[in-house]
Amino acid sequence: MGAIEKFQEVLATRHQYAQDWKKKHNGKVIGWLCSYSPVEIMYASGMLPVRILGSHEVQDVTDRYLFPTVCPFSRDALAQGLKGRYNYLDGITMARTCSHVQGTYDNWKNYVPTPFKYYIWQPNHVQSPRAIPLMVREYKGFIAALEKFTGKKITDEALNKAIELYNKNRRLMKQVYEFRKQEVPPITGAECMEMVVASQLMDLAEHNKLLEELLKELPNRKLDRNHGLRLMMIGSEMDDIVFVRMMEELGCTVVIDEHCTGSRYFWDEVKLEKDPLTDIAARYVNRWVCPAVSAEFKPRFDRVLEHAKNWKVQGALVYQQKFCDPHEFDIPHLIKMFKENNIPTLVLEFDVTIPFGQFRTRIEAFLEMLELELV
Amino acid sequence: MTTEFYRWTENSWHSPDIDWHKAQTVTCGIDVGSVSSQAVIMVDDKIYAFCNTRTGSNSPDSAKKALSISLNDTGMKQEDIQYIVGTGYGRVNIPMAGKAITEIACHARGANYMGGPRVKTILDMGGQDLKGIHCDERGKVTQFLMNDKCAAGTGRGMEVMAELLQVPIVDVGKMSLDVKEEPEPVSSTCVIFAKSEAIGLLRSGWTKNQVLAAYCSAMAHRVVGLLERIGIEKEFVITGGIAKNIGVVSRIEKELKIKAMPLSPDPQIAGGLGAALFARDLLLKSRKAA
Repeated sequence: MGAIEKFQEVLATRHQYAQDWKKKHNGKVIGWLCSYSPVEIMYASGMLPVRILGSHEVQDVTDRYLFPTVCPFSRDALAQGLKGRYNYLDGITMARTCSHVQGTYDNWKNYVPTPFKYYIWQPNHVQSPRAIPLMVREYKGFIAALEKFTGKKITDEALNKAIELYNKNRRLMKQVYEFRKQEVPPITGAECMEMVVASQLMDLAEHNKLLEELLKELPNRKLDRNHGLRLMMIGSEMDDIVFVRMMEELGCTVVIDEHCTGSRYFWDEVKLEKDPLTDIAARYVNRWVCPAVSAEFKPRFDRVLEHAKNWKVQGALVYQQKFCDPHEFDIPHLIKMFKENNIPTLVLEFDVTIPFGQFRTRIEAFLEMLELELV
Repeated sequence: MTTEFYRWTENSWHSPDIDWHKAQTVTCGIDVGSVSSQAVIMVDDKIYAFCNTRTGSNSPDSAKKALSISLNDTGMKQEDIQYIVGTGYGRVNIPMAGKAITEIACHARGANYMGGPRVKTILDMGGQDLKGIHCDERGKVTQFLMNDKCAAGTGRGMEVMAELLQVPIVDVGKMSLDVKEEPEPVSSTCVIFAKSEAIGLLRSGWTKNQVLAAYCSAMAHRVVGLLERIGIEKEFVITGGIAKNIGVVSRIEKELKIKAMPLSPDPQIAGGLGAALFARDLLLKSRKAA
């Protein structure tokens, strides 16, 4: 089984994977919401951090807990807890970013039996100079709680080891992304998404080994498909691989992305400058920013454009989870920026389930528009 | 027999002057939409025959029906058509088509053929969705915008309203203009809620004409909102079934302060016509390659 097939297998059997890990390591598993959650600290505690994601199925179990105007991702994630699919979790945490996913956390805390619960407060304006000391203080509280729960001390050595592991993972995934710059990319956008999502579900010691295998395989990998036009995908949370696959079958390849199940999640490493906690806090403060924690869009947009250019994209698909205001506020400005740089955009609004027929028409029409000569 | 108020006039036409036997190319575009289906047959670069018919429960049958109506009384058979392109919501399921192209590209191309290279903005008001399209002088799409899942502001919504008020759908536009004073538009964006709202208005003593005016005006208002997001450049044209509803069209024109350029022979065939034109391009290209 190749690395990509292994990622696909983990995605399909994510709950089994976590439970097997627990048994094998006689360990604990902690679920996290939102990509601002400091996974390094969780890993250093000896627990396996897994991201809580939705299943993209129609559901009605969250209606008693969250308004229908809460973003579909937050509702879908809560539904998984309410349905008991994460019953094996020993703990749950989130770093405060947006109110919708906080609704998921609050309801999870109250209605999904989970032994350890910890809410990491994070300033809404992470760029504030006072953010780092504040976050270090918060992280210290998180560490104390984790130590009490696991009965195991989180040493600086353990933190450094976790940082090293995550940094390595980030570097390796960036190397895979480099291959997407090729004229005929040896890896599809859906496969890359599987790789990144798997990194949020797996033990990174194992994920890193798979990445090393993948990097050996990629130089000789040839895909039997029409790579078509080069697209970028931009938005909030996105792990609907079925959708990306459908899209790529219509004659395009997603060569680069900017979302929190893609580059925005892993791009930035922890820089080793001070003590581990300060370094981790600095990483989350200075990382590729999510609009949920910043009203300033320039830092994000500069990076988006730089990536669009470096990966030579011919069009950008901007999607948003319905009711996700922070991302929605950015969209008109994003479109304008792309327009000024002659990159056409298509905007789609996502729900838990996606109207495939209608979206297919829009994507096909967008690709037809991008083709120089249609016939 | 119960009257089906939602039924619009199905029509077909073929040219008595064109002798297709002498043609270099005979191509066809079939547009299977969510509510109506069209087949347009082109002989060389001229429209030879077309029809507008109601879409049935499945795409292959609807395509077959549209094609056979268009061929009716022409002496032409399906085998005589050298290339068929499918478009519309059912485009992936049209067995006789050699290629499927989206209705967005086809509407632009069809509108460009009927309205000429000056056409820059197309509003396609279909059975289940709305599209604002910009195109260049060759009819190639440069930008487009579609409404979301909701059926309000579309042909399907209009059918629901015609049934509710028991007014034949072809009379809706005219009746909606026959009011002394333009009423406030209905406020609901959802067709189901708009229906409840209309029932409320009737109970409170509004006439059918007033309710229709309120509905047409709401529809026009929503469409203008969509168009303003994409921007309007002249010439502006309207395609799709609702292009035939004077009550909606005149209100759109009034809000936009711009006249829609009339399209002949039929604004509803734009998608099928565009598909037939693409079919012709594909045929000529394949001959050139061979």
